[in-house]
Parts: sequence; structure tokens; C-alpha cells
Amino acid sequence: MLRTVREVFTFFFFLGKRSQKLKVFFLLSLLPVALAIVVRMTFMRRSSEVMSVFQEILMVYFLQFLIIILTLFYGTSVCSEEIEGKTLPYLTTRPLTKSGIIIGKFAAYTALSAVMVIVSLVASYLIMSFQRLGEAATYGALLRYTGVLILGLMAYTAMFTFLGTFLKKSILIGLVFGFGWETAIQYFPGSTQRFSVVHYLKSLLPYFSKGKFSLLMFRLEPTSPVLAVLVLLLITSGFLGLACLFFSLKEYMFED
Amino acid sequence: MTAVIETRTLSKWYGNVLGLSDVSLSIEPGITGLLGPNGAGKSTFMKLLTGQLKPNIGSVSILGRRIWNDFGAFAKIGFCPESDAFYEEISGWEFLTGLLSFHGFSKAEVRARAEKALDIVDLTGDKDRRIRGYSRGMRQRIKFAQAIGHDPEIIILDEPLSGLDPLGKRKLIRLIKDFRDQGRTILVSSHVLPEIEAMTSRIILIHQGKILAQGDIHFVRDLIESHPHVISIKCDDARGLASKFVNEPYVLKLHFGPDGDTLVAETHKRDAFFGRLNQVVLESGLKVEEITSPDDNLQAVFDYLVGK
Repeated sequence: MLRTVREVFTFFFFLGKRSQKLKVFFLLSLLPVALAIVVRMTFMRRSSEVMSVFQEILMVYFLQFLIIILTLFYGTSVCSEEIEGKTLPYLTTRPLTKSGIIIGKFAAYTALSAVMVIVSLVASYLIMSFQRLGEAATYGALLRYTGVLILGLMAYTAMFTFLGTFLKKSILIGLVFGFGWETAIQYFPGSTQRFSVVHYLKSLLPYFSKGKFSLLMFRLEPTSPVLAVLVLLLITSGFLGLACLFFSLKEYMFED
Repeated sequence: MTAVIETRTLSKWYGNVLGLSDVSLSIEPGITGLLGPNGAGKSTFMKLLTGQLKPNIGSVSILGRRIWNDFGAFAKIGFCPESDAFYEEISGWEFLTGLLSFHGFSKAEVRARAEKALDIVDLTGDKDRRIRGYSRGMRQRIKFAQAIGHDPEIIILDEPLSGLDPLGKRKLIRLIKDFRDQGRTILVSSHVLPEIEAMTSRIILIHQGKILAQGDIHFVRDLIESHPHVISIKCDDARGLASKFVNEPYVLKLHFGPDGDTLVAETHKRDAFFGRLNQVVLESGLKVEEITSPDDNLQAVFDYLVGK
């Protein structure tokens, strides 16, 4: 199983680097860097305002757009690209466990997404924290943001991988979930918002109530950080396990 | 000889559509041709053999192992799928080494095996080109290379000659025969009788999901011989030609096409008919423009076999 995961990861990480999809997503992920440069130049000396804008970018662009779009396309494609491209027999007629194929591809695509997101996050954060680069707290916060985004990438990719193993139009369902459910449910009071992934991600971030977009946060009733991490890991492992199970039991037919 | 592939009462259906029905057979080392018209169930059979589909009824065993979800068995199986599908953005070399690495070989062994497989299929010179830029023949050959690279005991080839030019077909047939000479088991599907005939005399006839016959290809040839056969000859003197055939006992019917220049003959001894036709053309100096045989294909034989 570990051998399968390692070999599948190596092949698909390489394949992913070659894809056109990566170039488009890489450009998309660099938008916050461009924005950070503009903001830095506009609010040259007002450090607190700059950081406030960064927090909005983190919440709105990274958490509610970039990681959803990346995981949606990469997660659903773990299985569906093999079926639509009719390349599945190249994998399933090799001495590879089916669970290993899913986990290996999941890991490869999560790693690719993580590289894009982390490069963008680190670059935009450092540009915006330019005046506080000497402070240890700056790097502590960066680590925290990085950790949150990686947890988010893992949880969403696992969910969308699972959708891709048994739904033909998984990307449509994923879009409704990612940009409909995940956004709308945040405005619901009480425990309802706990039925979203983004709730647990936001629970791990400092409470931001300032700024023009504070509306997006004001109803957050955070879960404790430890519980939030556990839930995110549970979502990842649970959906990944289900994806492996479905992929092992299901027969895939090509439309020809 | 011991059977390498065995199926017992193997059946598969897709909803209400029957894919394969009650197939019990044994396949021994050497080349076995799986012959049937399009949609006969050849691909379904091969997908069941390679564990891509799960039988509804019955079982498949390869080298004594049940194949469904037995990933270990694939170390000894090479499969060349019918579809023209690849990871297009990578080169032939990357495709081959990537798939070979799935077998757990060391990096050096992966490289050595990939080089050997590319050499066998004559693609060494094009190994660094992206698959997207390969011709149809090159794509077929790289697909074949991935099926043989790990040195499998059993090679399952789904329509491997499809889309190849005559030279490419000849080369691939030679390669397949080389593997047979090494004592391997090769199952190759096709809907074209002469393609199979060029590789083996051992065939399995499949039609509408059922095995019609299994055995020597001469059996099919005999069927073709006895099956009433229509031959159309366009020439400069169709009526003169007809007069040469009217007394032949193996000619069942003669008539003329709407253009008046075409003689349409029906015979149950095709070889005898063509032998006489050659003789007549040589003797009379007849100018033959076209000879066609509208039902000279497998479908006609199958239709005849199933009594349509």
C-alpha cells in the first residue's frame, strides 16, 4: 500500500506539474501577491491598515475562493479524469492497490495545490508585513495561516475526491457545495454553521472584526482550536476512506 | 497444456443489456484470437479478464488466481486497451517509465526495461517527444510497449492493430509472434478475420455476448466456403462473363447490376469461383474494373452462424 502511494504520488505530481491546469491555477494563486504590492504601495506607512487588508484577502480570497477552486478541480479529477480520459486501465491493470491509487493521487494533487497556495500566501504576507519582518510574531502568524490553509486543502480535496469517485457531474455538485453551501451557512446562527468546513478553518484564525468585510465574520461562533483541527482531520480521513472504498468496489465504464 | 486463463459460466450485463453470457473456456499458452464483430462482447470479455469489471455470474481465474481486486496478479499481466487514450502532456519515455515504476522495479531497472520496450516497438528515436504529437501508429506502439515492458506472462491485447497502416500491422504481428515463441500466453481481439489469421489458427468466435465456437480458424474458413457468397464484378463485358459461369455447378445465381456493366454472382464455393474468374480473365482479356464482395466479412459469417 505504501509503495503504491509513493509511486502513484511521484507519477501524478510530475504529471500535474506538466498540466495546463497548473499554469492557470498558478496565475490565479498569484493574484494576492499583485494585490499585496498595490496595497503596500498605497498604504506605505500605515501598517495596521495593511494587515487588516491582508486579513480580508486571507478570509475572502484564500479561504473562500482559491482553496475551494483548487480543491474542487484537483479533488474531483483524482478519479474522473481517469474515467473521462479513459486512462484508468493503465492504473488498474498494474500491481497497485486501488486505495493506494486514490491516496497517492490525492497526496500529489494536495501537494501541488499546497505549493501554489503557500507560495502566494508567504509572498503576499511578507510584502504586507514588510515593516514587521524583524518580529518573531510575524512568522508565528504566517505559520498559523499556512497550517490552516493546508488543513483546508486536505479536507476539501478529500471531500471532492470522494464526490469524484461516484458522481458523474461531481464538479457541479462541488461548485454548489463550495460556493453555495459553504458561503451561505456561515450566516446561519448557532450550531448550523458547524456543518461547513470553512467554519473550522475560521475557528483556527484570530478573530477579525475590523475592516470593510467584517460582515463575513461577525456571526462566527468559533469551535475550540483543538476540536477544529480534529474535525478537519476527521473530515479528511473519513472522506478519503470513503473514496477508497467506493473506488475499490465500483466498476467504471467508459462512454464509447 | 495447462490452461493459463479460465472462465466459468462468466456472465456480465449492463442494466438490461447483455454484455456476456455464460462463457466457460480455457486459454492455453500461445496466441488465441478473440474474433467477433463490433459490439460482440470482446471488450467486455477482456475487461472481465483484466479485473476492470466484476462478473455478475461466474468467475475468471488467471494463473489460478481470481482476478477481481487481486492487484498482485497484475505483475504477470500486460494489457493493451482498445481506446486511444494517454496522458498526452508527457513524453513516451515518461509514460513508459512512469507506468513501469508502478511494478516496484528499481530506477535502474525501470530505465533498462523502458529502453528495451521502446527498442522492441521501434520508438527509441521518438521517446522524448510528447505523446500528443505521436502519429496513430506510434500511439499504438507505445500502448503495446507499456503492455510488454514488465515482461508479463500473459499479454491481453484489445484491437491492437486498429488504425495501423499495413507495414505497422505487419511489424506488430511479428512482435506478437515473437512473444508467442517465448512461451507466453497472448489473447488478441479483432473484428477483422485476416488480421487474426495472420497471427494464429486458434480462435474464439464471439457474437452477441456468447461464444459461438472455439478452435481452429479453418473451421471459420470452411463456414465461409459453404456460406452463400455474393461477388460483384464490374467489367467491359458483363454478359460475356456471365456466359462463362452459367454452367458452373457452384454458381447459385447470376444477375446484372443496374448499370448493366456489373455481374453479380452468388456462389457457395468462393475459392472455386475466384479460380475460374482468374482463368476467364486471362483467357478472354476481359477488362475488369472492380471486384467487390459485399458480404465478405465476419458479420456475414456470424449472421449465417446464428441463422439470420
